[in-house]
Amino acid sequence: MSPPVGIVGGGAFGRALATAAARVDRSVISWSRTPRDSEHPKITVSSDLGSLRAAELVFLAVPSPHVPALCHELGRHLDGAHLVVHVSRGLVGDELETLTEVIRETTPVRRVGALAGPLVARGLAEGEPGGGIVGTLFPEVAEAVRDALGGPTLRIYDTTDVIGVELASAFVGLVTLAMGYAKAAGFGPGTLSVLATRGMAEATRVIEARGGSARTCSGLAGFGDLLAAMAEDGRPELDFGRALAAGESLDRAAGRLGAYVEGVRIAEQILHFGARNQVQTPLAATMAGLMNGTLNKEQAAAALMRRPTRGE
Amino acid sequence: MLAPLAMSLLPKRPLHLPRLRTYVPEPSDPKIFWFNSERADILQDVVRRIMERYAADDSVEFVIGDAAYHEIRRLENRTDEAGRKGLEYWRGVIRRVGRMSSEGKIETLREISMRMAKDVAGNFDPRVYKFAARAVPGLLTGVMNPSRLMRSVLDSGTRLDELVSVEGPMEKLRSLQRKGTMLLLPTHSSNLDSLAIAWVLFREALAPVVYGAGKNLFTNPIISFFMHNLGAYRVDRRVRARLYKDVLKAYSSIMVERGFHSLFFPGGTRTRSGAIEQKLKLGLAGTGVEAFARNRARGVNRPVFFVPATINYALVLEAETLIEDHLKEAGRARYIIEDDEFSRVERWVAFFKRLQHAESSCVIRFGEPMDPFCNPVDDEGRSLAPDGRVLDPGSYVSRRGTATVDAARDAAYTRDLGHAIAKAYIKETVVMATQLVAHVLFRRLCRATPGLDLFARLRHRGDIAVPMDELVADVAQARDGLRKLELEGRVHLNAPIRKAAPEQIVSRALDAWAGYHQKPIARILGGSVIAEDPNLLLFYQNRIRHFAPEIAGPADMQAAIEIAAMKGVR
Repeated sequence: MSPPVGIVGGGAFGRALATAAARVDRSVISWSRTPRDSEHPKITVSSDLGSLRAAELVFLAVPSPHVPALCHELGRHLDGAHLVVHVSRGLVGDELETLTEVIRETTPVRRVGALAGPLVARGLAEGEPGGGIVGTLFPEVAEAVRDALGGPTLRIYDTTDVIGVELASAFVGLVTLAMGYAKAAGFGPGTLSVLATRGMAEATRVIEARGGSARTCSGLAGFGDLLAAMAEDGRPELDFGRALAAGESLDRAAGRLGAYVEGVRIAEQILHFGARNQVQTPLAATMAGLMNGTLNKEQAAAALMRRPTRGE
Repeated sequence: MLAPLAMSLLPKRPLHLPRLRTYVPEPSDPKIFWFNSERADILQDVVRRIMERYAADDSVEFVIGDAAYHEIRRLENRTDEAGRKGLEYWRGVIRRVGRMSSEGKIETLREISMRMAKDVAGNFDPRVYKFAARAVPGLLTGVMNPSRLMRSVLDSGTRLDELVSVEGPMEKLRSLQRKGTMLLLPTHSSNLDSLAIAWVLFREALAPVVYGAGKNLFTNPIISFFMHNLGAYRVDRRVRARLYKDVLKAYSSIMVERGFHSLFFPGGTRTRSGAIEQKLKLGLAGTGVEAFARNRARGVNRPVFFVPATINYALVLEAETLIEDHLKEAGRARYIIEDDEFSRVERWVAFFKRLQHAESSCVIRFGEPMDPFCNPVDDEGRSLAPDGRVLDPGSYVSRRGTATVDAARDAAYTRDLGHAIAKAYIKETVVMATQLVAHVLFRRLCRATPGLDLFARLRHRGDIAVPMDELVADVAQARDGLRKLELEGRVHLNAPIRKAAPEQIVSRALDAWAGYHQKPIARILGGSVIAEDPNLLLFYQNRIRHFAPEIAGPADMQAAIEIAAMKGVR
């Protein structure tokens, strides 16, 4: 009998993962800090991290700023036999430390991975046909994710370019935010297309600087995810971008949307990384300028358009 | 004059001492003293493992064909007797293989594997070890002063004690060697590395290690003699056959499984740029992970410890050839350099003459040992979780309670290990005066040439003059920055740098360079220091390039960022 699947995080995505695993007849231990009722007979809800010791595969579905502290706590209950996969689109610090790196540093778990791509909480929960990609160096991690979630309605691909998956996924958050802003500011499809394409080109530069593969950007973790975001799959970055264009403050927009927006922090993080590593990051610079109020709409557009053009 | 003459009289082929009486190891002897008695079994194990891998599938003919093809290509250009015989053998194999039965192919694969395993396998002669332990310091000091050669050989050299210093958790390492198998993973910048580390292991009462040595090292008769008799196994990088690589890996894994402490240079080759190696392939060192998993799968609970170490020289014997090679971007093409300073005796003499005047010219710093899964280990060799809890390392090679051997999984662990070792290298670097002064001068060169690429900058030979008082002030500031990093546990300073006045650091570096390298690196003219050889400045400063922005003042910040972000430094 397969061991239960562990899920850390009781937010929409964590609950959707639990439902998806229960649908393929897996027992689930779902941890959340605040107690809640179980949505399915196969799902056991717990507020004791120690209960996850019984799981083999543990999904981490919490916003990136909470991951380091939570991992310190979670790590006390895990060992080398556990597999941990996170679903966050965030990065930590100005060196663009990825969450798989954080998990490795703060827990004894080494068999780690990142699940990314156009996976949407509602689609996962309802069993809508779709797919995602797991970045991991360990074949058993990809296999365990497929066993836990993959069924007739969900295709899970895998790649060993873990850093590529995590950075592409984070960049999608930033580009989505920029697209939300540009749409609300009244720019047309041509402008949006250039913004998205060059934004992902920026992602490939940063991915390569960190040792990943540019190719990953053109897959599910990059363009695949961006297409879903642009098709209005309900992610908060798009709304956040619109709110910013409407002149709403960061705090107010965040409070109104009621969700943690990963794309906000990474603009500054990428900007600092680029400056130190001599990687050009014009979109991150522009979005950081818009968010910290040093640029307005016209200045932002001018800053991007005045840059010299080169071979693509 | 006498040294080259003495060296030229030594035979070119490796020497073995006659076996007049078999040495019977004592229980207190290190594991390697049993090597010769296990050698035949080890070779059989290697062949068995190769057969397990290939005999079960349909690839036997392909593997034989691949080996024959690569060997024929390699040997076609050889004109010596051994080369001619080898060519004849492989041509015979390629002629016959198509007509062989399945059994015949398997038998041929077995024969080729044994042939390769014998070529790889080392030898250990306790007499040579005991002689070397007494004589190596004398030999080295003898090279410095040939007229005292014989007296030096008989006199264990206290001079070498002063020249080579050791830092790190030595007591812990001694303890761990008794509890499991230790894999030493040093940085690699000179062919003197294996000699220096072998001497240090002996001096620090650590057991000798086996290590893979490139066949090119066997061209130096003194080194070759010791290599052949002290457990070194031969790695011929010119052999491209896939089977040969499998034999090497199997041999290395079996040695670790059997508890032979080993040494690997995870950078693969000497750092061409002078930088601390960061892109580690680990190569054979990865067999430590496989060996641990294989032992666990068969119920043997023998821990494996990986110990990163940095070997830090004030002067690098082969610096000129290495940086030239790096700049030609031929580092890969000329993977095996056979005509560098290491093979030229007069450069040895010049090198050691310079060292005679330097304190702690070489610092070997051992880092904290870790298990194959990057967990730190305590003094008892137990793996520790970040919260200090004791972990079972076997859990990493188990799935649902069963320990297995899994090449893909172990390759992933090896990659992680490469990152952990690379991080440890930076942290365990010991900064020498030559590197610090080279960095400050090179940074000045970058500052004076804004917007230029590296190669354009390197053409500015002798163009940059830094007033001595400015150089001293810059060195003082950079040293203070490094001291701060040292307090944070991020790097180490060689003791003289930590204590000396900045002007002494400058003069120490200039003195060390003077007269050793063929062209002056920097010289004093009219109260200024002239950067004469940007290539060598680059080489020495590359060792600390990672810290450039953190040790720069505002005026140098842009130059420092450019230095830290330089592409292609390996």
